[in-house]
Amino acid sequence: MIDMFQNLGLGLSVALTLNNVFFCFIGCLIGTLVGVLPGVGPVATISILLPVTLALDPTGALIMLAGIYYGAQYGGSTTAILVNIPGEATAVVTALDGHEMAKKGQAGLALGLAAIGSFIAGTIATIVIAAIGVPMTRLGLLFGPAEYFSLMVMGLVFAVVLAHGSLVKAVAMILAGVLLSCVGADMETGRERMTFGLHMLSDGIEFVVLAMGIFGFAEIFKNLADPEKRDVVRTSIGRLLPTMRELRENVGAILRGTGIGSILGVLPGNGAILGPFASYAMEKRISKRPQDFGTGVPQAVAGPESANNAGAQTSFIPLLTLGLPPNAVMALMVGAMMIQGIVPGPQVIERNPDLFWGLIASMWIGNLMLVIINLPMIGLWVKLLQVPYRLLFPSIVAFCCIGLFSISNEPAQVMLAGLLGLVGFALWKLRFEAAPLALGFVLGRLLEEKLRQALIISDGSMLTFVTSPLSAFLLAIGAVALLIAVLPTIRRSRDEVFKDA
Amino acid sequence: MLKNITRRSALLAGLAMMSAVALPAAAQDYPSKPVTLVVSYAAGGGTDAIARVFAARLETALGGRVIVENRPGAAANIGTDVVASADPDGYTLLVGNQGPMVVNPHIFNLKNDPAEALDPIAMIADASLVVVVGPRLAVKTMEEFLAKAKEGELIYGSAGNASASHVATLLLGQTADIALKHVPYKGAGPAVNDLVGGHIDFMVTTIPSVIGLVGDGTLTALAVTGTERFPELPDVPTVAEAGVPGYSASAWYGVLGPKGLPEDVRARLTAATAETLSDPEFVAKLRNDGGVPSTLSGQAFADFMASERARWGEVVESAGIKVE
Repeated sequence: MIDMFQNLGLGLSVALTLNNVFFCFIGCLIGTLVGVLPGVGPVATISILLPVTLALDPTGALIMLAGIYYGAQYGGSTTAILVNIPGEATAVVTALDGHEMAKKGQAGLALGLAAIGSFIAGTIATIVIAAIGVPMTRLGLLFGPAEYFSLMVMGLVFAVVLAHGSLVKAVAMILAGVLLSCVGADMETGRERMTFGLHMLSDGIEFVVLAMGIFGFAEIFKNLADPEKRDVVRTSIGRLLPTMRELRENVGAILRGTGIGSILGVLPGNGAILGPFASYAMEKRISKRPQDFGTGVPQAVAGPESANNAGAQTSFIPLLTLGLPPNAVMALMVGAMMIQGIVPGPQVIERNPDLFWGLIASMWIGNLMLVIINLPMIGLWVKLLQVPYRLLFPSIVAFCCIGLFSISNEPAQVMLAGLLGLVGFALWKLRFEAAPLALGFVLGRLLEEKLRQALIISDGSMLTFVTSPLSAFLLAIGAVALLIAVLPTIRRSRDEVFKDA
Repeated sequence: MLKNITRRSALLAGLAMMSAVALPAAAQDYPSKPVTLVVSYAAGGGTDAIARVFAARLETALGGRVIVENRPGAAANIGTDVVASADPDGYTLLVGNQGPMVVNPHIFNLKNDPAEALDPIAMIADASLVVVVGPRLAVKTMEEFLAKAKEGELIYGSAGNASASHVATLLLGQTADIALKHVPYKGAGPAVNDLVGGHIDFMVTTIPSVIGLVGDGTLTALAVTGTERFPELPDVPTVAEAGVPGYSASAWYGVLGPKGLPEDVRARLTAATAETLSDPEFVAKLRNDGGVPSTLSGQAFADFMASERARWGEVVESAGIKVE
């Protein structure tokens, strides 16, 4: 414990030098910007800035790059809440209730809760990394393909909880999402599946394209189809910041979200994306009024946003302790370290303690800066909603198209998003929800990948999923959750049968 | 009349001047607008990182803007097509590696054959791979590894189907005559994770992806795949030294343009690449990333690619990898 404070002290002394505070600020600022701009993600931004960082000292460079990453998570929630465009997989959940809150005139409250929740989560996650980062690494290593597959199955079961309408429709959407995730080259044989010979589909559908289509563009179609509703959004602003009472009501959700996000962030293969979904499912499960979820419940924003930010932070653990990048951004950080002549791996903590602890301490400073940058911005963002929609939506579309084009410099991606926008609009008309589809899509990729890896290793024996204790445990939780979800439906239909009789 | 004469002589003088400097003029003008360096992978990969650092140095050497453009997709074949169909004016170039350049022609029905549609300018770097084992397979040397492999099928992870890490392992299996089981991953990162976690036996992967874990003893490096030992791992033999004679494999990167580059532009690019590769700072960055700067250019680079293509063709064909 004393060690930890000594180490954090060392870290703060590094992170608080004028240079590093400056780099941290620049990183957070750029991050917020790329987060707010739909489609422009931290991966593209960091890789473009990579050559620039060569001229900097390694600690400053990494502090800046890290700032871009978690800064983008803050910024991403802004667009999700205001215009229902989740730029990142993790912001999908925020958009669900966050945008509904904005429609009710509570955009300020939603943005405030997101920022404050993220700050609390970031602070706790920083301490988690410093205190138990090394033991937590082992948790990530326990998850081989079989265990990971079972975790995904559990995730899919929880996905059912995300829906607030018909159970059957939710399951249909999840399966549709899983199916869409299968588009593209087969990972084992390289053979193209469901691509219709189109080059742009050969690597599968980009998540950003899907999200921007079925959420962002569909939302615009919805608003244009229904002019009365959208005027309500822009006439009422509401308070800008949450009151103490509102904070107290949400602190539980924030803390639970932080816990879930911190654990899932350590998992390989971008486990952090599961955090917000899991947090949402949990909040809905323990809420006294689960039927309100999806209509603008503050806890449904505070929890997932905290999980999101905590996960973004703890995903640095495998990178810092083993040199293993759990996602594309961390892979870039490895690249940045290598080019600077720092070998990522277990030795970093001994050989470059300044860098290791400086980076960790800078995360906390960065989170503080993000709150300071973001809270005063809320007023500005909310004012944006007062801009007449006929002027606002063309600029949203334009920004989306720029972002979509920048993914692979391919106009076809923009067209695909437009097409998916129509699909999203049709789904809305038919009262299907897009969120379970998005989750099915996100989980589907990992689900297939891990299933096939596990079966190659086990020579095709399905027993591998139950002989591993961890895997069996996760499947059991999934089975119980499924039972709990289905039982009321069964009971209700049975009651109806009895009523009829 | 006088006016006419002056005009005509001015014109003649102008023409004379132009013809006198015609050849160097084009090269001197080049680059008169930004040069696009196409990378066939999404931002954030190994090739992308090398390309961006290279582009930054090339700007100085060429004295003009060099922009990296990511054109990912279709197993890196889209990037090849983009450059193959661009104007051969030196303003659209490709950073190619062994995957799309010499392995893919054997696996896919390509729209553009890189050997015919592209003009090799110069190779940038050559990076050896390394054979590493994790806690699941507790062997310390290549000899022990080969003995274990004769006993039963070992499981290896790769960075993906037909990746350098995959084909290099296939070659190892074929050369050493051992049966191996392939588990494809999406990138080296998750595969290394499962190697450390003890879910797979071994990997043949890029040195930067595992060197930290080797240094700390989490993973054991058995051998490097190149023809020479790697300076940072002086005690680790080459695969050929350690009992698999004749084996060598490496991941390499080079710059190519569309077929039919003007000779002067090509000369300018060759010189600029050579200048970049002699910059000690750039070389240091390459070495940090596990790469050795190359001296191959023009025809020598083309010959190298042809021999690589023939070699890997045999490997993937006997392994039966083919996408219809």
